[in-house]
Amino acid sequence: MEETNGGQKRRLELEAKSAAVRKLGGEQKIEAQHAKGKLTARERIDLLVDKDSFVEYDQFMKTRSVYYGLDKMELSADGVVTGVGRIAGRKVAVYAQDFTVLGGSLGEVHALKIARTQDLALQTGIPCIAMLDSGGARIQEGIDSLDGYGRIFFRNSRSSGVIPQISIILGPTAGGAVYSPALTDFVIMTRKSSTMYITGPAVVKDVLSEEVSHEQLGGGLVHNQRSGVAHFLAGDDEAAIATAQELLSFMPQNYREEAPSGVTKDPVDREDISLRDVIPADANKPYDVKDIIARIVDDGNFFEVHRLYAQNMVVGFARIGGRSIGIIANQAKFMAGVLDINASDKASRFIRFCDCFNVPLLTLVDVPGYMPGTAQEYGGIIRHGAKLLYVYSEATVPKVTVILRKAYGGAYVGMCSKYLGADMVLAYPTAEVAVMGASGAAEIVFAREIKSADDPAALRAQRIQEYKEQFSNPDRAAERGSVDDVIDPKDTRCRLARIFDILETKRDPFPGKKHGNIPL
Amino acid sequence: MATELITSPLPGKILDVKVAAGDKVKEGDLLLTIEAMKMENEIVATVDGTVTEVAAKPDSIVQIGDSLVSIEEG
Repeated sequence: MEETNGGQKRRLELEAKSAAVRKLGGEQKIEAQHAKGKLTARERIDLLVDKDSFVEYDQFMKTRSVYYGLDKMELSADGVVTGVGRIAGRKVAVYAQDFTVLGGSLGEVHALKIARTQDLALQTGIPCIAMLDSGGARIQEGIDSLDGYGRIFFRNSRSSGVIPQISIILGPTAGGAVYSPALTDFVIMTRKSSTMYITGPAVVKDVLSEEVSHEQLGGGLVHNQRSGVAHFLAGDDEAAIATAQELLSFMPQNYREEAPSGVTKDPVDREDISLRDVIPADANKPYDVKDIIARIVDDGNFFEVHRLYAQNMVVGFARIGGRSIGIIANQAKFMAGVLDINASDKASRFIRFCDCFNVPLLTLVDVPGYMPGTAQEYGGIIRHGAKLLYVYSEATVPKVTVILRKAYGGAYVGMCSKYLGADMVLAYPTAEVAVMGASGAAEIVFAREIKSADDPAALRAQRIQEYKEQFSNPDRAAERGSVDDVIDPKDTRCRLARIFDILETKRDPFPGKKHGNIPL
Repeated sequence: MATELITSPLPGKILDVKVAAGDKVKEGDLLLTIEAMKMENEIVATVDGTVTEVAAKPDSIVQIGDSLVSIEEG
């Protein structure tokens, strides 16, 4: 029976209005989007969240601007879809910019909708996922659009460390638009369609007479490999969204919670004899530290972060006994696993993320030292290398270190050694924990004696050998307690599982302060 | 066809050059080793293709960014 209050008429009107919003920027624009190999904002949301879980809000909001005919245009949802959905049953706030509506340009209301989503995420303690695809500021809206970016940056910063924030770049982001992703915890880019830069190729050419393509200037590969701005490179929209889903599975909803437990059939007491042989006997031979990681973690599943950037340092998530952990490892097969500016930055940022969100840290050490040379010194290796010391010391999550092979000098200290607060330090029997390599050390310590010997070469070889037997092992460190135990490599997984279990209830209250002053 | 120039990621001494101009290589193939930081660092092909030029000479010292091998993609 029809209501007498006109409710049915209103409902039909609103349904029609809502249906119009769902048409986004119109068929033509959608076709153009698809032709570029890109999905629309709503298709992306459907892929990201569990079926029928998305609750949209503010679909009817529209720009207040009356300039340049904006008030006459139908701008679906003002170019950004906002709401809360679920991923694997867990709530997440989502906003997706819609390139089919004025190129996804960011105006006042567009920004207010995003800010509203950020506020909701912060207040309800759920992750915030941004899917960006925008030509930049909506120039017609002038300063209102710039202030919109300000609102978003402010919330990105204030939410940092409270809730995880993930940015998926699925189209252009230029100028101010790049700084919201930069402020979030993780940036995912696609190989072909996403770009990030402060100023585009046209301006670069104008100002510097430098010819560069969009992709060369700020494509997905460039930011994954060279700048380190992006953490993940995906083939297309679907792969990028799948990356975000998997990434999320390793982290909790907010800083008060623990990451969800994974399910595994991989027994925690699984021994692996092959671990005895992965590391070559010759300390000058490289190997892939990921071969070690795969043997230790559940089902060999290592979710690497920053795979293409500063490859001398490997970081990423995995699980042991279902428990999410963050792994930081020197990569012997890339630049000898040396610590340099980029490796320090990469590891420091990852460690801080893990500490923010209660993900325990596992550090695998095989490091020859810090990178020497003017390039590094002028670049500020002292300042950047200091970050690593700072963040390890600052981290209050469980910290476990395994010394696989070389742990020399300052780099030994830096890689989560006992006195940077490691809760437990293990070493392989063949590990070398020393001030420096045997040959260098012997030459310094016995310099005068070697020089005045009848046969300097023979004495040098003898002294090196003696030094090696004396110091190139984990035994001295174990005597001091700098190493808690020397273990059979085959037992690594089992040991780590037990130790992380012991440390599960670790509490390490922090001295009261506003916040520290990390050397940036 | 794009040419991929492989440069030295670190300063060191070239030990062993495994490829010559004209060789076909696959991504991940060993091109040469550089001794640096007390480690024999393996430099591998970053793309599939044909080696067009080998600038690296055994026993020579290289700096960061020095050209080692050019590979024509394809």
